[in-house]
Amino acid sequence: MNSNLIQNFINNRPTNGLLGQRNEKEPRKKPAPYFNIQHEVNKDLIKPLDGDGRLVNKNILNAPLYIVKDNFYNTKAFKHAVEGKANDHELGKLSNVGLTLGGLGIAGYLFSKRQTPLTKGMEFIGLGSFLASMAIWPKLAIQLPAYLIHGFNVQKEYIDSSGRKKPFYQDPQFLPWDLYSDKEIQKIGDRLGIDKNIKNRRDVIQEKMKTIAIQNNTLWMLTAGFATPIMSALICNTTEPYFAKFLNDRKNKKADKILNNLEQYSNKYQNYDIQNQLESVLRLYSDKPLDKNFRSNIIQAFTHNLDRVSATKVEKDLNLILKSNIEYNINENAGKQIYQNLINTFKENGIRKEFIQQMLPNEEGIINLLKDKKLLNTPIPLSKFRNVTTEVTQLMRTLVDKYNKTAPASLQEDFDYINDLISNNRDSEHPVRSLISKLESTKISEKTIKTLTSLAENLDEFNAKMYSLDEAAMLKIGSAPETVIANFWNNSSKEIVELFGLTPKEIEKVRSNRVLLNPLLREKFEKIASDDQLYQKVMKGLIDKVAVLNEQINPLTMTEKMFQKELPDGKGEKPIIKSLYEKVVTNTYRETAGQLRNQKLDNIASLLVGSKNFDSKISLMNLQKSFVSDRLLGVKSSFYRLINTLDFYRRIAKEPTSIDNLGTISREVKEELVELCKIITIEGHASDHATKFYMLRNPEPANDTSSIVVKNGKVVNEYFGKTKELADIGNDKYFYQNAMKTMFEMPLDKTTQELIDNSPIKKELVNYRNLTLDILGGEKYFAKPRHLVRSINNASSEIKFLITGIATDEFFFKSCRQLFNTHYWKKTFVRFGAGLLGVTVLAQFFFGKTKASKKGAVKND
Amino acid sequence: MILPVNNLNTKVQFSADANGGDKKKPLEYDHDTLLKNNLMTRTRIGMDKLTNAFTLYPAKGLKGSRNANFYEFLTMGTVPYLIGSATLMAVFNTNKVFPHFDKTVAKPLGRKMALGVIFYALAKNLSKSFVSTPIKMMTGIDIERPYAKVIYELPDDVNDTDITSIEYHKVFESVEFPRWDLLYGDETKGQKRNFRYDRIAKKLGMGQNLNDSDQEVKSRIKEIVIKAGLAKNISSYLWAAVGVCMAVQKPWEKYFDYMTFKFWKKDEFLKSMKVFGESFVKSAKDFYKGEGKGISKHAGKILLGVAALSSIVGTSFALSTSNKPSKIDSADIIKKDDRYVVN
Repeated sequence: MNSNLIQNFINNRPTNGLLGQRNEKEPRKKPAPYFNIQHEVNKDLIKPLDGDGRLVNKNILNAPLYIVKDNFYNTKAFKHAVEGKANDHELGKLSNVGLTLGGLGIAGYLFSKRQTPLTKGMEFIGLGSFLASMAIWPKLAIQLPAYLIHGFNVQKEYIDSSGRKKPFYQDPQFLPWDLYSDKEIQKIGDRLGIDKNIKNRRDVIQEKMKTIAIQNNTLWMLTAGFATPIMSALICNTTEPYFAKFLNDRKNKKADKILNNLEQYSNKYQNYDIQNQLESVLRLYSDKPLDKNFRSNIIQAFTHNLDRVSATKVEKDLNLILKSNIEYNINENAGKQIYQNLINTFKENGIRKEFIQQMLPNEEGIINLLKDKKLLNTPIPLSKFRNVTTEVTQLMRTLVDKYNKTAPASLQEDFDYINDLISNNRDSEHPVRSLISKLESTKISEKTIKTLTSLAENLDEFNAKMYSLDEAAMLKIGSAPETVIANFWNNSSKEIVELFGLTPKEIEKVRSNRVLLNPLLREKFEKIASDDQLYQKVMKGLIDKVAVLNEQINPLTMTEKMFQKELPDGKGEKPIIKSLYEKVVTNTYRETAGQLRNQKLDNIASLLVGSKNFDSKISLMNLQKSFVSDRLLGVKSSFYRLINTLDFYRRIAKEPTSIDNLGTISREVKEELVELCKIITIEGHASDHATKFYMLRNPEPANDTSSIVVKNGKVVNEYFGKTKELADIGNDKYFYQNAMKTMFEMPLDKTTQELIDNSPIKKELVNYRNLTLDILGGEKYFAKPRHLVRSINNASSEIKFLITGIATDEFFFKSCRQLFNTHYWKKTFVRFGAGLLGVTVLAQFFFGKTKASKKGAVKND
Repeated sequence: MILPVNNLNTKVQFSADANGGDKKKPLEYDHDTLLKNNLMTRTRIGMDKLTNAFTLYPAKGLKGSRNANFYEFLTMGTVPYLIGSATLMAVFNTNKVFPHFDKTVAKPLGRKMALGVIFYALAKNLSKSFVSTPIKMMTGIDIERPYAKVIYELPDDVNDTDITSIEYHKVFESVEFPRWDLLYGDETKGQKRNFRYDRIAKKLGMGQNLNDSDQEVKSRIKEIVIKAGLAKNISSYLWAAVGVCMAVQKPWEKYFDYMTFKFWKKDEFLKSMKVFGESFVKSAKDFYKGEGKGISKHAGKILLGVAALSSIVGTSFALSTSNKPSKIDSADIIKKDDRYVVN
């Protein structure tokens, strides 16, 4: 706190004042003392207080303290501004607060619009990196090089006597040099190479420091505009994978937790939706008779969130509950209405009026009948409603019989015809049943309420569990951005492109054209396959990367069943181990289905798990399981296809004679065969197997049956490509069978086998190859009808699609595109940023040596 | 280190002086001059500062000129602001060589970001008037009032004869040292000395024909300027955020299909402007209405509400000063011209 100078003087002045003190001294008439002006000034006169300013010596250790202090200062500044007492410095600081608030506003808004945790988080990382870049660039590119070159901090800060922290060189016209000790200035002067013997050395040093600081501040202003956005973008780019990995691990753990604690976790999803809706419907009818809307309201309460197929099943069971438990009340008016309906029906069908009079004399007859049969004003369950129709028709039969006995033969009527006129109507037009919707029912029975409530509880609980299971599945294998499997695919696909040695130039060349990529890929595969060391490295890398998927999505937690068949070990067939997800799904569905069956709700139960008369493959339980298994099957097949393709190229490169094992075949056919296989393994798509692979071949191949010759992974064709008249030979079934055998049935290459033997994915790779043979080789349209290597299996096109996986060239094409975009963007801005940093640093070597400063220094020497 | 300034020996001329010499064109002002706060002046000042920020001041700064000052440093702040905006646009739009499909996806995103940069600057600057205009209307205090300041520099060398320059400041740029002196009327031009202070005093409800209206209102003006400064500092950035968020709305994608700045192609340009207007309205609606549910639906409303509230509350708060006139009864106030008897 600063003292009030005038008040200090008044408080401390001598009692007689300045003059009085002098008057007191004068009479002594002592010899005049030695007069020292400094002494006198210091003794009596008002003088400025000593400055309280100091230089800020910030370092990594005390930086957090300054951050806290700065925030405290900002808070105080805000308070002062609110009170209308802030100073310029405080208002300036509040501008920074506004900048941060605005940034948070942008990040917050965009956060709310983004769909995934990563993109949401990146909004705040973006803001943070921008603010950080604004702070880091001057320190990195200006302050640090300037310190190393000139020996002093051009961005030095100081705290003035009022506690305001400011940049020392902010205003070159006001530099508080007194804050620097002479020792410090002289030391800087030594670094600046200022002559030690000149007069006013401190002034010269200060002038030079000022010049350098002005130059650096200007350089800062000129470069910050380029540097800040680029640095910010690069920081985001660098941070994103780490943040993504963090989120990925979190998601994976969360999914595991859900599966391990389903009961507990499902409570979060328990919204009592059906119970609440049911309760409101029951409350609505608690004090009034049930009407025609009751049934639809109840059904709506149970089915509002269901698809049509499921809703129909639920509706069936609900109708059963309601039909057997709701009771209706037939009163006199209803009796009259039945009479009127019958009359109208007969009239509409041209029955004579006189006969109708005989058959249905009046309303009283119907009412009395209902009364006699105890059907009037008595609650009748819907199931017994047909009794009313029966009694009425019985009455009419009696009357018709009576009439026929007396009437002439020409006027007699056939009662069966009359009965048909009644019974052949739909509910809505039936003279008696149409009344149901208009009847007032009695209250819903307690038993029905209990049944409905119990069903609602079961379904709410079941739904909560389903939501939880869906979440677990979605987090791990969902076909959406940022799921565990999507992250794995994105990361590994880029790594695999690099593993195969595609250079940035090659990537740039093929990024837009898949046709250009294919020969390049073939070249790469052949090169890798022919080089032992390279093959070992690439295949191991490939196997390791695929194994990572099994680490992230452990088959014991979630898996596809098809690749999990245990390999024969001579100890009999072992059962496939069920994954945790499968067990939990089975238990949950079966438990709920059991509860429903106990309540005689078979339709819903069979919808969930299937029944004896119901194809359980399309039960909801199996759909829930196949959601996971299908997705994993497709992804894993894609990677195993890649391994198998590389292995095939290797077998051709290192063991070309293995083709001879197919039988005695013309060398020309063998060359054609290898060519087809090389094309299929790289380009073959699921649909291509049905339509595309019509191989143009020589219809009259050479009689030469020698082995093919391979050099550097490429077949040295003796015949293939040299014949002009080529045709597709549709009836050569052995050719396509041999292609399948060559690709998927022949034993793996030795190196591959060694690598795979030591890998956790061995079982899955073997099963993949077998399944491909079974499913694609047993497909009647692969590659042409009846060209089979296995018996027809009627596999669905979906399974064919999943087993085929992504085509190798498509896999590389997509990855190359992504890699190119990322590389190009990074390359552009990293180069620009590095150039900018270089120029900024280089420029500082020339600072302090400009004409102006030299002249200034010389003149003042 | 200060060079001796000697007009006689070095023939230094003060070009601010209208009679300074024949060779030099005299500067527009020969002393600190209050300027009108209108569009033309603001544009002229803006252009002058912008030109200097990119030319004169960097040249002086890179030479380490002894005359470089804080004003020039602050004015150069425009350079990173504009270059930064352009760089940010470039960062988001470096997709020309991307494969076609990727480019199609990246393009609208990049353009939205670029539009966001422009809207940020526009909203930030325009929103300042949400505070300053009501304050000017309600109190007569023009917190944005500019003035030209004549600076006398030190000559760089003996041949440096032009040592004056003009800086453009605002009267209330410094709340600690406002240029009160410039607000006094020029009595030689027949203006009342305190006419500006009288007007403010009247608007502030402090009465008319005050003897020392300047002394009466200064403390209130200062408080209002400080509070208005706070409101501007906070609200302008929140409005800037609104600008950015407006720019990321989907309807802008239609505008990007028609966007052209070739004003010489009349039809295309007019169509582009028309679609811009339509996209602006639709984007504003989308921003306000939002989509989805929860915070995602209401984020736009919240941000807009907070920005509007910051301007309204800030302005209202600035107008409700604590340094209000004393509530002492007028009978208790000693009037200088009246006679009083002391008992």
